Amino acid sequence: MSLQSFAEIWNEFFFAKQSPIPIALFRIVYGTLVIITLGLLRPDWLNWYGTNAWLSLSTALKLEPGHRLNLFAIIPQSDAWVNAIFWLAVTSAVLLTIGLFTRSSSVVVFVCLSSIQQRNLYITHGGDTFLRLAGFFLIFAPAGAALSLDRFIRVSRARQYSPPRWQSPWAQRMIQIQLSLMYLTAFLVKLKGATWLQGTAPFYVYHLDELRHFPLPSWFFRPAVLKLGDWLALALEFALGVLIWVREFRYVLLILGLLFHVWLEYSLNIPLFQWDILSAYILFVDANDILRVASGWLEPFGKTFRASAKHDEAVSRNSAVL
Amino acid sequence: MMFQLAIDEQQSTVGQDDPSGLQRTKPDNKPRVVLFRKATRWTINCLIGFHLLAIACWCLPIDSPLFPLCRSLVRPYFLWAGLFQSWDMFAPTPKGANTYIEAVLIYKDGSRAAWTYPRMDQITLLQKLFKERYRKFADYLEKEDLDDLLQDVARHIARLNCKPGNPVKTVILIERISFIVPSPDGSYRPAPWDTHVLLGYGVRPEDLQ
Repeated sequence: MSLQSFAEIWNEFFFAKQSPIPIALFRIVYGTLVIITLGLLRPDWLNWYGTNAWLSLSTALKLEPGHRLNLFAIIPQSDAWVNAIFWLAVTSAVLLTIGLFTRSSSVVVFVCLSSIQQRNLYITHGGDTFLRLAGFFLIFAPAGAALSLDRFIRVSRARQYSPPRWQSPWAQRMIQIQLSLMYLTAFLVKLKGATWLQGTAPFYVYHLDELRHFPLPSWFFRPAVLKLGDWLALALEFALGVLIWVREFRYVLLILGLLFHVWLEYSLNIPLFQWDILSAYILFVDANDILRVASGWLEPFGKTFRASAKHDEAVSRNSAVL
Repeated sequence: MMFQLAIDEQQSTVGQDDPSGLQRTKPDNKPRVVLFRKATRWTINCLIGFHLLAIACWCLPIDSPLFPLCRSLVRPYFLWAGLFQSWDMFAPTPKGANTYIEAVLIYKDGSRAAWTYPRMDQITLLQKLFKERYRKFADYLEKEDLDDLLQDVARHIARLNCKPGNPVKTVILIERISFIVPSPDGSYRPAPWDTHVLLGYGVRPEDLQ
């Protein structure tokens, strides 16, 4: 591959304009997940982050040193201020979800989410981490260019409908890359453990009382089934990390990944983790397919969607994105 | 010149909601706009390239001397910006024991009481949604290098259990462990619970403020 062809591939991948529908839809799901996350934390806001929390701010700063984007470290140390940060986070997440002041809302959501996690890193799971990372790149994405109040206001002011303008998807690509790197890393780390290679790891995972969720059939606990599940999980993590970028495999892998996470949601108690990860699958779905499904679902309001879908399809004929 | 291609395609386009994306700039502004677009594109390219390399070096578990070096270089930025990450769910080796945390509380008058940290296996599905953080936190309490964390927890438990005129004087944090051991036929029978004292903490008056 020559330098020139590398540059062309790079430009095509990160900058060939595409419909903002996938990133806008992701924004809505992302914002909703942030709201739910904060809502589930609500009874324990002060228990985890207050002045008399399980982990004091001074200990948190001692155990996790370094300069960090953490509002809790700079606000006056009172429970009222802690609550204020949470309500700020909730408000900005609502604004982000509906797409009002989208860019600034995404900044505030990221800063709040980052602060909440930095304040107590010992209660965050992988889903929270993914929300934080996706939130960072969402700041740079044209997330309010479609399906948002910002756009509705723009269109209303112009007094004529025009489909969402196609934009460079580089920030969306970064979230996609982040997701695939997550799977690839999870796969590689598992390869370092003998239990995963031997196929015995699920035996331990599924006998952890703390993770038990819904009842599982007895046949699932047979060693052969657990081994098969182990190796399938490894294969799928590798595929979602690497092969997801091959267009021909993408939808099949997305469906398998969806089934995989739904199974994990059913069988293991890690609230929201699976949905946090699945939210980013939207970014791998072609905008035309999203619009095709949406125009079917939203037939009564279909004029807008049909117009948008027609426009997107017309442009996509000359633009092969991914 | 490398990344010139896409810039040239776009340098004449501006506009917020122009469906064609072909709204022309005013002629006298054009050189300035082109320069600005080029600078923006180069900045974005640098941003993308840096983050791609940095994130890959940070999270991929590859045994190469370059990776730790790269990690240490980007560490201050990653910590500040919140881009640090680890994806070691149940890996490299999943947790091999069922555990829970208990505390023995000794009050000023010498009386004792037992207190149990929230256990996921003893709460309802709905409660699990709200109490997930307790499960995650308990995982860290069992780590030996986080003594400061244990002291904070002891203080918090003391505050939670104080009675008027009879404060908690000592908190003994205990971990109960039952190892998960497969039987020869592959089935599972719960092993007996062992006890491991995590911390004995003498509560000071200021801890209860």
